[in-house]
Amino acid sequence: MPPAIRVEGLEKDYGDVQALDGLDLTVPEGSFFGLLGPNGAGKTTFINVLVGLVRKTGGEAAVFGNDVEDDYQGARDAIGLAPQEFNVDRFFPIKEVLVHKAGYHGVPESEAKERAAEALKRVGIYDKRDVRFDWLSGGMKRRFMLARALVTDPDLLILDEPTAGVDVELRHDLWEVITDLNDEGTTILLTTHYIEEAERLCDEVAIIDSGRKVTVATPDELTEKGSDTLTVYCESALDADAVPDLDDERIESVSVDGDAIRVRASSASEVAPAVLRQLEAEGYTPIDIDIERTSLEEVFVDLTRRGDGSEDDANDGGNGAGSDGASGESETDDGDETDGRVVAEASR
Amino acid sequence: MSSVFSTGTKTLTKREILRFLRRPWNTFLPPFITNVLYFSVFGVILGARIREIDGVPYIQFILPGLVVLGAIGNAFENASFSIFHGRWNEYIHEPLTSPLSYRSMVFSYVASSALRGIIIGVLIALIGAFFTPVHSLAHPVYAVVFLLVIATLFAGLGVIGGLVAEDFDHLTVLNQFILRPLVFFGGVFYSLDALSGAALTASYLNPMVYMVNGVRYGVLGVSDIPVNEALGVLVALTVVVLALDVAMFKRGYGLTD
Repeated sequence: MPPAIRVEGLEKDYGDVQALDGLDLTVPEGSFFGLLGPNGAGKTTFINVLVGLVRKTGGEAAVFGNDVEDDYQGARDAIGLAPQEFNVDRFFPIKEVLVHKAGYHGVPESEAKERAAEALKRVGIYDKRDVRFDWLSGGMKRRFMLARALVTDPDLLILDEPTAGVDVELRHDLWEVITDLNDEGTTILLTTHYIEEAERLCDEVAIIDSGRKVTVATPDELTEKGSDTLTVYCESALDADAVPDLDDERIESVSVDGDAIRVRASSASEVAPAVLRQLEAEGYTPIDIDIERTSLEEVFVDLTRRGDGSEDDANDGGNGAGSDGASGESETDDGDETDGRVVAEASR
Repeated sequence: MSSVFSTGTKTLTKREILRFLRRPWNTFLPPFITNVLYFSVFGVILGARIREIDGVPYIQFILPGLVVLGAIGNAFENASFSIFHGRWNEYIHEPLTSPLSYRSMVFSYVASSALRGIIIGVLIALIGAFFTPVHSLAHPVYAVVFLLVIATLFAGLGVIGGLVAEDFDHLTVLNQFILRPLVFFGGVFYSLDALSGAALTASYLNPMVYMVNGVRYGVLGVSDIPVNEALGVLVALTVVVLALDVAMFKRGYGLTD
């Protein structure tokens, strides 16, 4: 069985602007795959190439083995898309919009009506079925976008910022729905600005920047790329200049702050026993410890700030220069969201 | 995967037809009022002072032309508006991201728009029959075929208009400043016998002349042009326009980045 998505050397330019710059990516069937990247990284352009709203200028792209141009009908039939922007037929009540969408995918009308009712119930807006899209609240609109993506019973569900700007309760409701779908076998491709969302939901995460893949890994693997902080609290305040000399190659740095000794290490939980033993041997009296793991957000910021954003750079450490992140696409700037950790804000 | 007889094609065609049928005040009232005024003013009031043309009363003479005017205007406007409005609000992405073939999509937009044009044409004919009884059609097959072909042709042109337009103003320009003058100088209100020299030559270059006269031949049995040749040219033109529609959809003109 071919992977849900396979792209090789995918390119899209808008004149001088290179939105996708040789992107290589494989999304396994049945996975819950996250796509992270700063604004303008090329996420939406990538998705739009898959569904036929953007014409690629180079490379290959296939959905379940169907080339997005040569076998476009097979590729599009497999995809259910909930885009970032609202692009819903305003002429008809939402129930009929769903019946039409299912019909376009070849679902006979009687079955399409059943599916529409089912999809609206699943996202919790069945009682609004006779209302037009414009009359729905913001949260209901976001729910409807998911219902429309579901009504065709897709093998690949693509969610482009599905929880952008929605409240916590709705976000958790949507997470539950898409997790259930993934458990039922649907492949999910999720783009998000919320690191928490990716950490919580995704099996694998691809970080892209400037139209190129930076890295692909599980959220745990990514967080392991960063450093943890082990804080050892002592009985009394310590001399800030008397930094303990800890002998362990896994330790990156040690600092003192009041009654706390902070140790940066690749894996704090593994290094903690040795650190405590050494401190006690040197006369310190530890009374408590705290381990703060590196967040995916920190790793993300680190990776997308590096040089030209290529995978090699990510593995080799990069040159530390800022990323220009240029792209022809337009994406919602969620940098001022207050709920959740927002990558856009962190990566500025 | 999706032929013109597929569920997908039928769904999009039905959606397009329901869009205009559910807005009768917008679809049917304007042509109703406009044509009641045309028949009242040009047919009854002015027509009483104009002698017969080609052996038929003036009010009957203008009837086929008004049918054509209404049919092509509505066919063009329906296709161009529906596509442009879908592009403007991006909900045209719903069919575009579906497994409909480009040919199916064009079929749906053209068939529904041509149907609207034909419905309006019949409505205008009924209004005309109220003002001036036409007891029978001289050549009913010609009347039906010409109406069908020109409604399809202008629905196809409307698809192009909807894809090319960048603003609502462009649709107005296409309709008011290109289509309408061609129709008015297409022999709706006069016979080509009334013209001579450059005006006559220019009229023969106006495709509307052939459409108006084709329908007029079907309804009244009179025409300024050879109808079979005109029908052949119009059918060929329609095929070319539809092929261009499909090519534009395939290319993503106005639809994809």
